[in-house]
Amino acid sequence: MEEDARRPPSLPVPEVGPFRRSFWKSPLRGPWLASFLSAALLPLIVICSLTGFLSHAAYNPDLGDNALFDQGVDLYFFDWPTGPSWLYVLTQGLHIITGLAAIPILLAKLWAVIPQLFERPTARSWAHGLERIGLALLVGGSLFVFATGVLNIQIYYPFGFSFVPAHYYAAFVFLAALAFHIVTKVGVMRAAFRERGVLRPLREDLAHTEPEPELAGRHTSAPVAAAPPTMTRRLLLGTVGVGSAALAAMGTGQVVGGPLRKLALLSPRGDDFGDGPNDFQVNKTAEAAKIPMDKVGPDWRLTLEVGEERRAVISRDELLAMEQVTADLPIACVEGWSTTQTWTGVRLSELARMAGAADGAELQVISVQPAGALRQATLTGDQVAAEDSLLALKVNGADLSLDHGFPARVMVPALPGVHNTKWVEKMVFAT
Amino acid sequence: MKRFRYEYGASPVHLLVALTSLAVSAWALAQVFDVLSTPGRFLIWFLGAIVLHDFIFLPLYSLLDRGAAGALTRGRQPSRLRIAALNHLRIPVLLSGLMLLVWYPLVLSKAPGGFERTTGMSTDVYLERWLLLSAVLFAGSALLLAVRARRLRAQG
Repeated sequence: MEEDARRPPSLPVPEVGPFRRSFWKSPLRGPWLASFLSAALLPLIVICSLTGFLSHAAYNPDLGDNALFDQGVDLYFFDWPTGPSWLYVLTQGLHIITGLAAIPILLAKLWAVIPQLFERPTARSWAHGLERIGLALLVGGSLFVFATGVLNIQIYYPFGFSFVPAHYYAAFVFLAALAFHIVTKVGVMRAAFRERGVLRPLREDLAHTEPEPELAGRHTSAPVAAAPPTMTRRLLLGTVGVGSAALAAMGTGQVVGGPLRKLALLSPRGDDFGDGPNDFQVNKTAEAAKIPMDKVGPDWRLTLEVGEERRAVISRDELLAMEQVTADLPIACVEGWSTTQTWTGVRLSELARMAGAADGAELQVISVQPAGALRQATLTGDQVAAEDSLLALKVNGADLSLDHGFPARVMVPALPGVHNTKWVEKMVFAT
Repeated sequence: MKRFRYEYGASPVHLLVALTSLAVSAWALAQVFDVLSTPGRFLIWFLGAIVLHDFIFLPLYSLLDRGAAGALTRGRQPSRLRIAALNHLRIPVLLSGLMLLVWYPLVLSKAPGGFERTTGMSTDVYLERWLLLSAVLFAGSALLLAVRARRLRAQG
């Protein structure tokens, strides 16, 4: 159908080097291999994208100063729930694990289709030209989101732009281009699986590994002048699978913790800290947050406000004299690691009552931390009211260490780690 | 309809999907320019990722593979053992390289100060772990190859 379409003006690429189809020698490349890799990649990308957007929602960006950047459109029409307490461990853990697991498959997929980058003519029709623009956005968008994500979880920022909005908006480019790609290529996948079977090529040994034939009426990366095979498709895909599983295991180790944390061999939060009550992962140390020591010493006081009006000023001893509640709650970081500990402190609902705040009032918690968008966070009325939502004073029976937020920190079930504000000095209830 | 297909090269649905997709991307890029203080760096990274992958990274590893394959399987009909040897080299290289690609900021201690200040942990351990993992992969692969070589020789 496309062959007799009007050809748009296109770059006069000479038939040399990689622009010659015979340049590409691998007998393994072709529509089946590309389709198989896509079929493996798609569920991972779906989970990774959904959990990514859920993470955005988990920050309740419509409240107070929670939004880290201008949203453009408000896609988040629900309040993040307060349970189960491991909800954000699950969603963000999946985001990082599926993202890591997708990397080798994505790289293999790009290898499988690279000859099509050099297709001649550069545009067979206007439709094909648009598809190729879409492909540039797909390749750039996918490499961008995976690269920035991987660098962010290793706390390495060589890129010189703000991570969160860049990762977020690049994901829109990536997913929009992916949707277009799926619509245009689903026919190739169907035809490839129909002709070659979904799994049949995996059973071929080296002697039976033939170059993939071209699909009738399609333009694919099937070789026209294949070299003899040196590897079976099974071995290639098995290696990709092992790489993917290894990265998934490293991600899982730092999400699940316990003995599994040992699996996090190369991922950033795999280390054991020791056996003390405060020996567990720190998102941001007091040093990094530039906490002034004189403001977290004996003179520390917690101020409760409703609107602009001051309702109470409480010392740490007075807080300790109130009813203490203990709960097992996870710190679940957006970087995809988590750790569950036993926290003790005063219920946020009790402090709301003490301040005389209205039922269901939102609460902005403000830290001693002098600067940074995450020195404060606003919680929903439900989060304040939740049974296990605490202003924690102790962890595992001991006072919080400075790095874990001494004198007091918020712990709310299912809340992203950084919204569990540390070094709290003020709580402002909405009127 | 036939006329549309001739002019455009696909169905109107294709055009609708294409334009919707490109419109979403255009909106996202407009947001990037609106929200980021350094949108130029975003574009450099976006385009740079394509160039780096498609024109440097992929050709480079393909050339390395072609070199290794050429050296190990010289001749028209390479022996099964030589092909096996090639793959016993390829697989540890691929896996070890993948780990380095993903974790290079930690393995190569790209920002040790920031990491340590933020997390309270050191990046010192990662190079050792990666080397160890690579050593296990290469040694394991070599051992398997030796076993296979003996079996192949026994078969004649």
